[in-house]
Amino acid sequence: MSELERSLLRRLRDRDERAFRELIDDHRDRVFNITYRMLGNRAEAEDVAQEVFITVFKTIDSFREESKFSTWLYRVTVNHCKNRIKYLARRHDRDRDELDETSQAQNGAVNGMPVRVANPDKALASAQMEKLLGEAIAALDEDQRAVVILRDVEDLSIEEICEITGLPDGTVKSRLHRARLVLRKKMQRHVE
Amino acid sequence: MTEAAEAEIDEEILVTLSDYLDNVLPPDQRADVEAKIKNDEAWKSAHAQMVDAGSVVTAGTSTLQKARAPVSFADDVTGTIAKRSAGRFFGRRTFGDRVPFVAILVVALIGLGIIAYIMWSSPTGSLKVDKEHKPGQQGSAIVDKP
Repeated sequence: MSELERSLLRRLRDRDERAFRELIDDHRDRVFNITYRMLGNRAEAEDVAQEVFITVFKTIDSFREESKFSTWLYRVTVNHCKNRIKYLARRHDRDRDELDETSQAQNGAVNGMPVRVANPDKALASAQMEKLLGEAIAALDEDQRAVVILRDVEDLSIEEICEITGLPDGTVKSRLHRARLVLRKKMQRHVE
Repeated sequence: MTEAAEAEIDEEILVTLSDYLDNVLPPDQRADVEAKIKNDEAWKSAHAQMVDAGSVVTAGTSTLQKARAPVSFADDVTGTIAKRSAGRFFGRRTFGDRVPFVAILVVALIGLGIIAYIMWSSPTGSLKVDKEHKPGQQGSAIVDKP
């Protein structure tokens, strides 16, 4: 850990607002990208990303500097996302009919145009591919989703992912492979 | 490739090939893996499957745009903390984060100077020096005799 990072941590432990704002500025986009890819919904992602930083503020004293600060931060992020996914699943079970109606209305608005990769417009094809992949990632189970986002979207090493998820090396690699197989299948099916 | 065949990769092969594809194996182990891919059917098909899945997915993820947090994100977070802590943390103060003690002192001194000047320049001010007043007369008063 660099001296700069240690100094920032000291100030964070003193509950210095400027230090906290520096921390947010440094990490907010990456944390938000993870929460957005994990949850597939901007409003939920924003809410969870806020909770991540609030948790960091409250529990910074429990960070023991045994790992990189970013690793600890991403662990907090992934745990918050998993909790929110569970909460949303429970709520969905309770209010299924109501949510289905909302979801259909939203999809209707988003899918104003048919999704076809054969479109000659490259920008549109790219946007469609992004949408397709986003949906495919969102359809993975939460453990596979976390691993594939950390590795293939955030480009973290397997070692870091093991630290973040607390999973053994072999489990991370096999989950990643299975997740990639599922994604490949969905994407190829669409292209065909 | 069928789903059954996809699921049949041996865990040990998968872990080693994952390291091989991530370029984290030392040269001797790397050469060993390359020989196995060339000569062993199980390794060869596992390698092909992993390269295929990896390349399709990474080609897709490279098109994903990074989602960015809203501009007001830091304010939102600190505002929520201030609210939940009832202003104990990150509460907004009258003078911002730092109280300008020097500026307050300068203003106070100027104010005191103005007050002192007014009192001194006033004919009845308590700071007015009465040059004609003799010290012995202090406290004397004209008393009407009965």
